[in-house]
Amino acid sequence: MRKTFLLARSYLRRSKGQSTSLFVLILLAAAMLHLWLILSLDYKQNFSRSHDRLNAQHVTLALDDAEDSDEDRIPFLTQTLEKDARTKEFFLDEVLHMVGTFEYNGGEINSDLIFSEKNSALARPVGKIEIVEEGPSSDGIYLPVLYRSDDIAIGKDITISIGNRRFTYPICGFFNSIMTGSHNCALCELILTEDKYKELEETGCAPRATLCSVRLQDKSDSEDYEAMLKNALSAAYPDRRAVSNSYALVSRSRYISQMICSAILSAMAFFILLIALVVIAASIVNHIQKNMKTLGALKAIGYTSRQLIGSLLWQFLGISLSASAAGAALSYALFPPVNRMMISQTGIPYALRFLPLSLGITLLTLNGAVAAAAWLASRRIRKIEPIAALRQGIPTHNFKKNHVPLAKTRAPLSLALALKTTCSGIKHNLTVAVTMLVLSLIVAFSGLMWENVIVNMTPFIHMIVGETTDSCLNINAEKEEEFLREMTADPRVEKAYLYTSLEVRHVGGIGLMTTICDDFSKANNQDVVFKGRFPKFDNEIAVAAKYAREQGLQVGDEIKITANGKEADYLISGFTQTSNNLGKDCLLTRAGYERLSRLDNTSYYLNLRENTDIDSFNMEAKERFKTDLNMAINVNATIESASSVYVALMTAIVIGVLILSLIVISFVLYLLVRSMLAGKQLDYGILKALGFTTGQLILQTAFSFLPALILSTGIGLIVSSLIINPLTALFLNGIGIVKSTFTVPGKLIAGAGLCLILSAFAITCLLSLRIRKISPKNLLTGE
Amino acid sequence: MKKILLKAEHLSKSFSSAGRLQHVLKNIDLELYEGDFTVIMGASGAGKSTLLYALSGMDTPSLGTIAFRDRIISDLNQDGLAVFRRDHCGFVFQQIYLIDGMSILDNVLSAGLLVNTDKKALLSRAKKLFAAVGLSEETQEKFPTQVSGGEAQRAGIVRALINRPDILFADEPTGALNSKTGLDVLNTLTRFNEQGQTIVMVTHDMRSARRGNRILYLKDGAILGECLLSPYSSQASDGKARQETLQAFLSEMGW
Repeated sequence: MRKTFLLARSYLRRSKGQSTSLFVLILLAAAMLHLWLILSLDYKQNFSRSHDRLNAQHVTLALDDAEDSDEDRIPFLTQTLEKDARTKEFFLDEVLHMVGTFEYNGGEINSDLIFSEKNSALARPVGKIEIVEEGPSSDGIYLPVLYRSDDIAIGKDITISIGNRRFTYPICGFFNSIMTGSHNCALCELILTEDKYKELEETGCAPRATLCSVRLQDKSDSEDYEAMLKNALSAAYPDRRAVSNSYALVSRSRYISQMICSAILSAMAFFILLIALVVIAASIVNHIQKNMKTLGALKAIGYTSRQLIGSLLWQFLGISLSASAAGAALSYALFPPVNRMMISQTGIPYALRFLPLSLGITLLTLNGAVAAAAWLASRRIRKIEPIAALRQGIPTHNFKKNHVPLAKTRAPLSLALALKTTCSGIKHNLTVAVTMLVLSLIVAFSGLMWENVIVNMTPFIHMIVGETTDSCLNINAEKEEEFLREMTADPRVEKAYLYTSLEVRHVGGIGLMTTICDDFSKANNQDVVFKGRFPKFDNEIAVAAKYAREQGLQVGDEIKITANGKEADYLISGFTQTSNNLGKDCLLTRAGYERLSRLDNTSYYLNLRENTDIDSFNMEAKERFKTDLNMAINVNATIESASSVYVALMTAIVIGVLILSLIVISFVLYLLVRSMLAGKQLDYGILKALGFTTGQLILQTAFSFLPALILSTGIGLIVSSLIINPLTALFLNGIGIVKSTFTVPGKLIAGAGLCLILSAFAITCLLSLRIRKISPKNLLTGE
Repeated sequence: MKKILLKAEHLSKSFSSAGRLQHVLKNIDLELYEGDFTVIMGASGAGKSTLLYALSGMDTPSLGTIAFRDRIISDLNQDGLAVFRRDHCGFVFQQIYLIDGMSILDNVLSAGLLVNTDKKALLSRAKKLFAAVGLSEETQEKFPTQVSGGEAQRAGIVRALINRPDILFADEPTGALNSKTGLDVLNTLTRFNEQGQTIVMVTHDMRSARRGNRILYLKDGAILGECLLSPYSSQASDGKARQETLQAFLSEMGW
């Protein structure tokens, strides 16, 4: 064993450059693998831990009070909750509930807001909140920690618009609420100090509501339970507005950025590991070929194959053990910026801690893979016979075929010699090909995100959010005709169409958010339905493809939908996809919905002419329709705010993976060029003696990589362009996307591919500068 | 009157070894003439090969100048020296140094195409040279590891001559060959010299040295003596006298 270690140490000393490059590759793979494991095994679990710690509810429901009386809703709710065996505990609380907007992150947050009184909220036994930051002021508002930013900070004011009214509050602090701490939770809680709560209550613009927080025996029942509760309430109180969420919905919607980061990190970690393994295998094969006589001599003096294989194993394990440990440590340093990117979406504080399981998996995976690759590649040592190796070695080239005979080729000399090198270096080509194939996929992904998310958000918005418009006005049904008449007469309005959302229930399934439109052909985003067509008739429905897949539904199937105690059959006309309700939604025509219930209020989407000030337009509408206008939303600003998180995340990811790609290709090429120069030192010495200049040999070396670079990048980009949309769909499946409709930017990807090839060529030229040091004299003197 | 092809003045070369400066060549003045077969002899470590590398532009001198047809080459940088070697020199090495990954023909063409882009003319010249050294077409297609040492060295000579060099530098060309193949190589070199090819050869083998018409003896980095002989001819009957003259010269030099 001691001999094996000594030999491994000697190998390591002789190959410092190669060891350093491999160290960096494995370090990067380990850092990303460990980060991914932190995100998957602990960061995501932080939701469950925080949920348990704060005794958070599994189902939340805010039921608006009747305007006239306080009849039997509390006993009814209590009875409904108590009689369900799935209920573990619950708490009913008085709150104010309305749709409101406030500025955040350069855009606008528009959400169902729940205003709670501070003391009451802090005393809640189920769905506790915890104050995470508090200023000296004792009169104002506490916001979910998610919104803590430069503009929203303790001591500053925040203005919240509710209907026509605007309320400005000093910010007293921030709190953590698991189920109501974000606009991604369907309802977002804000806490007012006692005086401010009373003031708001007295204005009457925020209706009283009962906040129902239910903890279940089994959290996996949360969606069914939520649907049951809403059905029971809509049957008992058909005129009341109820907004709810479930553990399943919130745990997914608050962790979309974690899901995206995890997927990218895991993919990158395994890609880099794959490249490192190919490099290790190629290095070992090269080492065996170059040191055949030495290995033969070692065998001759008594070293066994096992010892020689062991020395190679220890050489690479030595590198991978130290690199993977350093990579895991690096991941702790990298975590804060990654966390900052995600916290703006998850909004649940997370304290990083030592995770032995993640560390163990990282070390085991990387070192196991390295050991396996090294063992597989070094097995051929067993076949070396000392006498044969000492006498003539084993040929390192296959001389059966003369590739690119100079007498026949039309290529210039340098290119022809480069092609000869290419043809004789299969291992180098393979390593380059694997690296470039992986990088091509990264380039295609980056191009796709750049074009569809970063530069022009519309495709991303269309696919993720669904319908887009300028303004959304919610008007009472009685005023609908007058509203429409005025809107269509307004020269600033290009198009106005009903686009309102309500909850229905699929009989035998779960609750679905339905979007109701008078005519779907008016919708701006015609890609929402990607299979079949929008519903046209009152007996047609389009359902979310993700839900349809889960339920085994096909276009043409009939399903039963219920709302307000009525049931009706609908024919599935098409499949939709948006991430708004995480794949639990459907589309109905107005006539279709009215088979179940009438619309009490209607949301209209308005396309405004260019240069129309949306906020002024909405303000005018509020003044004109006063209390009949329930809500006016600047949809552009809302989308911008909601999407900016994803745009920032995607920008960081794209920049990160491109930098990483450049690092990876640099190190891989460094290893290859170094190995090539070491192997061809004699050839280069001869060529220099014959009169080849350093420049010619550098170009020749760089050219020799070009065929593999161009071919693998070309094939990689074509294949990646074809599979990138299905891969993206797979990647976004968790949020309801089953078919990615992103435009593949062919020219951009081709341009990026060209840049990748040119960069690799330039890097090879730079690395080949070592040829300057090769002197023909050294060749002659045997130095 | 012979034309001077290469002229070295005050040529010195020093190496630093283990912290000590070693003077391998000491203030050498030397002229090499067109058409000569100059042989550099001397004991091991005398500086023969160092002198050859310096003269051929493989290495730069520490002091002094080297001029090729009145053009100073000792000031050239590495790429300038490469171009000089390409345009004016041919090399035959003791270890042959053909590129293993190329066929014999490609080894020759890789040198030829550097200077001559007329592939047809080049192939025609290569064919003649191969014929002259007795290498068949079949051998030309083989790789260096597939031919004998003698065949490889003759291929090396073809490579050295493909660009019609002004000077052919040969460093112990028979050193790694057996006597039969060594003799073949010497005969080949002699034949080309008879056709006007200037040759500078380093050797410590008297049989090889006999082929030269000018023998320089190097000792401790300096030219100790010079012996002029008539040009070698395989048909000439002065073989014995030539041998005796050379032997006497070498004895005088302390060989």
